[in-house]
Amino acid sequence: MKRTSKGKRPEFYDSPVLDQMMSMIMVLASEVSVLADEMDTIKRAVSAKAPDIAAELAAFVPDEQALQERETRRQEMLARLFYLVRKDAEETAEQATAKGYLKTIEEIAVK
Amino acid sequence: MLNTFQQKPHAVLPQPTPQEAARHEFSKSLKQFIQSSLLPGLGPVFAGRAAPEFAKTAGHAPADRHDIRKAMVPDTYFRHYAAVNRISQELLWDGVIDSIDRQEDELAKQAEINSAKNAGKLIIPDDFEVPRYVSALDIHCMPGGYVGADGSEGQITPGALYDRGVYLYAMGYTGPLNDDMGRSACQYIANKLEGFTPTRILDMGCTVGHSTLPYKEIFPEAELWGIDVGAPMVRYAHARAGALGLDVNFAQMNAEKTDFEDESFDLVVSHIMLHETSGKAMPKIFEECYRLLKPGGYMIHADLPPFDLMDPFTQFILDNETYYNNEPFWGAMREMDQVDLAKRAGFPEESIRFDTAPMAIMQQMAAAAGYDEASVTSVSDRDFTAGEFAPGGGWEVLVARK
Repeated sequence: MKRTSKGKRPEFYDSPVLDQMMSMIMVLASEVSVLADEMDTIKRAVSAKAPDIAAELAAFVPDEQALQERETRRQEMLARLFYLVRKDAEETAEQATAKGYLKTIEEIAVK
Repeated sequence: MLNTFQQKPHAVLPQPTPQEAARHEFSKSLKQFIQSSLLPGLGPVFAGRAAPEFAKTAGHAPADRHDIRKAMVPDTYFRHYAAVNRISQELLWDGVIDSIDRQEDELAKQAEINSAKNAGKLIIPDDFEVPRYVSALDIHCMPGGYVGADGSEGQITPGALYDRGVYLYAMGYTGPLNDDMGRSACQYIANKLEGFTPTRILDMGCTVGHSTLPYKEIFPEAELWGIDVGAPMVRYAHARAGALGLDVNFAQMNAEKTDFEDESFDLVVSHIMLHETSGKAMPKIFEECYRLLKPGGYMIHADLPPFDLMDPFTQFILDNETYYNNEPFWGAMREMDQVDLAKRAGFPEESIRFDTAPMAIMQQMAAAAGYDEASVTSVSDRDFTAGEFAPGGGWEVLVARK
């Protein structure tokens, strides 16, 4: 599915760079939260069955499938991280502007 | 209150993997944090910092919501609030799309199976024209909007995106089946409009039919129709009703001008639809409601109250949706005189009023994980606070009788 919404994105800071940085920070916060949930699941679900989980994790060598899944996950995470930077290019391509957004508000309110 | 509300699964709802679920949970947690921990700071920041700064240059105190906006926009605290609010919306949709893209084929199959279980009609015309107020921007930043984009126009995926996304957007305040607005309005009708039992009901702007279905539960004998301008919405709604075991009719139609006959319904309702229309469309919708109703029938629109019932700071907070969440009509709609519109459409003046339908969420306790008494009570017993979802624990309804 399409990932971004039609309509010029507002800028909240003096520099668009800060808007992009804030998005990255929040995406990283999300990813950290995902990892924390995942670690918690492992701890709760596996620790009862495998008391020596730490040794098993240390001995683990990823196979080709695991390598591919990890790389896919990392690429997807980076795509999320650069969400706004990519939307910037998209808006430039579509010539979506803040002026155009305000014009839509005005046009739609006309009685 | 710790919000651990969980959506109740059904056959056509996307099912996240544990990692996707953790991402969905984070977007919901972030929204809850913004509402409970960032929003309350806006008042003090305005009074203590932004308003005095504005007065210094303007020579007068901020007088209306436009002045307040000018005062607040340069403020760092407000910028962080507004920026993170917008980002939470983007994270939410992006996270749900992960689940939908992964399950696209399975969801399409389930939609077909469950649509077949719904004995109600599904009407999608070939030559439907989507109004500009829906197609100009993707409302509430939902990628593809109500009509879909890049090939999803002919699918159910935009409906799936709305069903899961709106649950997270509402942080579960709309109940395990996303249906609290419909359920609350419907119970208002059953409890407050004594002796009124509708036999044919129309829900305008129904999207995925989440607010529509409670009408079938509470008035099982009634013939129920849901209409929407988005084909993927009604397509998904039809399958969703089937999955939940209800026979409900859905059609792609424009509420300004439907295909139904004069005086063919005794109840016409809508839920958070009006603010997504336009200045030109709203009077037409009221006129259409009047045309469709039998004498004695009711028109009920559930949305947020008009601006004249609020102070300017509250208006300013609400108007942030207009500027930052692709809701172009959000602010202008609240300046419309809805009572006058109803009067002009033909409804007798004495029959028109605003009222509050209390949230029905209390009855949803234990219907899904997280809905315990303490958390549900904390949602339904609140004072009105602008910027919160479902502010005040009730839904504002405009009632008029033909």
